Amino acid sequence: MSALKRGKSVVFGYGKFGRSVADDLREGGEEVFLVESDGARHAEALEKGFPHAVLVDVTDDEALATLPVEEGDRLVCVMDDDHLNVFLVLSLRALFPHNEILALSDSIHATRKLKMAGADQVIDLYAVSATRIHNILSKPLATRFIEGFLDANHKYSFREITIPEGSFLHGRRLDSVDFRRYGVIFIGMIDVELGNSFIFVTTGLEHKLDAGDIIVCIGHDEDLDRFERLIVWKEEPQ
Amino acid sequence: MKKRLRERIASWIVHWAIHLHRSGRVRRVKERVRDLLENERNPYKKLFDSFIVFLILSSVFILIWEVKHPLPVWLDYYDIYFVSLVFAVEYLLRLWIASDFAGDLVEEYERSVAVGRPFRLAKALLKGVRKKVAYMLTPAAIIDLLAILPAYRPFRVLRIFVLFRFLKLLRYSRSISQFVEVLAAKRFELLTLLGLLVFVTVTGAIALYVLEDIHNPQIHGFFDALYWSLVTITTVGYGDITPVSDMGRVIAIAIILFGIAMISFATSVIVSAFSEKLTELKEDRIVEEINRKEEFLIVCGYGQMTKMFFRHSDAKNYPYIILDKDPERVQEAIHDGYDAIVDDASRYATLSRFNVKGSKVTVLCMTHNDVENIYITLNAKSIDPRIRVIARAGSPAIVRKYERAGADHVLLPNQVAATMMVTAILKPTMYKAIHAIFTAQNVALLDEIRIHEHNALIGKRAGEVDFRGFRLILLGILKSSDGTFLFNPGDDVVIEEGDVLLVMGHRANIEYFRESSCLEEGKCLR
Repeated sequence: MSALKRGKSVVFGYGKFGRSVADDLREGGEEVFLVESDGARHAEALEKGFPHAVLVDVTDDEALATLPVEEGDRLVCVMDDDHLNVFLVLSLRALFPHNEILALSDSIHATRKLKMAGADQVIDLYAVSATRIHNILSKPLATRFIEGFLDANHKYSFREITIPEGSFLHGRRLDSVDFRRYGVIFIGMIDVELGNSFIFVTTGLEHKLDAGDIIVCIGHDEDLDRFERLIVWKEEPQ
Repeated sequence: MKKRLRERIASWIVHWAIHLHRSGRVRRVKERVRDLLENERNPYKKLFDSFIVFLILSSVFILIWEVKHPLPVWLDYYDIYFVSLVFAVEYLLRLWIASDFAGDLVEEYERSVAVGRPFRLAKALLKGVRKKVAYMLTPAAIIDLLAILPAYRPFRVLRIFVLFRFLKLLRYSRSISQFVEVLAAKRFELLTLLGLLVFVTVTGAIALYVLEDIHNPQIHGFFDALYWSLVTITTVGYGDITPVSDMGRVIAIAIILFGIAMISFATSVIVSAFSEKLTELKEDRIVEEINRKEEFLIVCGYGQMTKMFFRHSDAKNYPYIILDKDPERVQEAIHDGYDAIVDDASRYATLSRFNVKGSKVTVLCMTHNDVENIYITLNAKSIDPRIRVIARAGSPAIVRKYERAGADHVLLPNQVAATMMVTAILKPTMYKAIHAIFTAQNVALLDEIRIHEHNALIGKRAGEVDFRGFRLILLGILKSSDGTFLFNPGDDVVIEEGDVLLVMGHRANIEYFRESSCLEEGKCLR
């Protein structure tokens, strides 16, 4: 769907976090390459059916350098040991300067260190959970709504749709399109020129749609599917 | 004949007691009186307390005024009859609710019937009376009784008993009663000290009396010597009586030295008593403070999660209290600037201190220990099922247990983080959007608008509301009628009172929309 070529995810660690991250990624159709430094866990990963799982000492830079990391791959550091995780991020940043590094942290201090070590995105276990509690307290409905997206058996989805060549949307102003009649809610656009940043419609977006633009809609899956089929039409269906 | 008469009287009294004991009306009235006199949360108690305090203060004021000024008759009557009457009634009511006289009698009667022993009225009465007397001998009750005495006209000396009315304030002023409590905790030390003081004073007095009674014209009797001894030992030293002989002065030196030592000792005892009690008093104040709030959080455990929770920008929106068993952690929390007390939330007594009936209470179980969290959940739910419980769980396997214990929301930090991580990889756009929405950046706030009774939107159809004009997106409506959530509602869905609109938009636009849809200012806030 996205314009960019998607590489694989290299997941370091198959421990208490790594397990669920790797499993969920695979379920989501992502190509997962597992790296583990513990023999027993490596065996477990193989048993679970991960075809690409290697046993590598993550403190050894030479061994890390031999990993088949290509351009566009994401490096996911989810080792159980905080210190090892920071060390790993530091090594990976030096070895693969152009790859995106994501790391999971389970303390405030580690978050800061991981960022300094060069992680592009750090997910702080406690910060995320604390935010979730705040949301439950102050915006229960909104929280349930968002959880509807995150849930594996989601009710509604969030979809990026590229406007095809020759679509009736081509050349239309945004405010003249009534997305609601297709059962979907238009919430924003991806601006490719601004480094794929996401612009919400609520900022007062005024835009003339062109073929190749990426719009972001939410809706039930079947409605989104139908909408995607419809926008290739030349004339807006009545 | 005499015996039969006695039996008649006994059966009479028992019948009367049973009647009283079983009467719902009597019990209800008694409950209400007890509530008025003793329940801090009774709204009328404050009124009643203020009234009594006013009577006390006016009475004492009259006492002082009267020394130099003639008193109008009506004021005299007010002081002597009205105030005393109110105090007398109060005294009797307190005596009444102190124990259950009829209940004791009935209990004794039933017991003797059960074991087949002849009922002895005197014994039963004695038991009831003993309880009443026990109450009458408490310091508070004695003060109450003495405060009524000034009403007895023939003894003008009794006027000074008005001062006992002043002491009545003890009951009505919390800080004074706490002071007394603190001193009472050090009863043993203080009494020992007092005994020592009496002993040394008397010894000094005897010595001076024996040695100087003949030479010293200032000393007329043993009382003078005792008075001198006390004035000296307390280092007050008026100087109206002074020793004249060398031996007398030696005694004075000894007494003075002892006095200084004793005063510093007494001071240190009182100070240490206070510092020991101070944290407890402070904690009581914090609990009392929070109980007055309409809605508050009880946060159990001060660990990573709690710290993160309070770092969040929304945290200041809720009144809260932190409980932790570990004094070190509580110290840390206080050091970080939070209200925290050392207490074990898994105990019934701890959670029932809070006003769970009157306020909307949410308990956050954030300790690291699943067993403890579940215990706290059960504890909270057993006190009142209306308490909302949000708990963190350590592993997915244990979530079921939390749900069975009654937790309203169970959170798995590991899973929440893992889901976020996976979302960030698989759906980066959505991750960014959700992140923006959840971290409440101004541009794309996801917010809920509750439709209160004063809302202009009631009865309108969703299509009639100009969400676009406000630059808002209506994502869904939670219908109050059946609790369903309508995603992307059609134009003909009617908005009713109690519905919740889920909208997304700039913070300022949401505020503006909320204000402009409100018919009566200030009444539609969340």
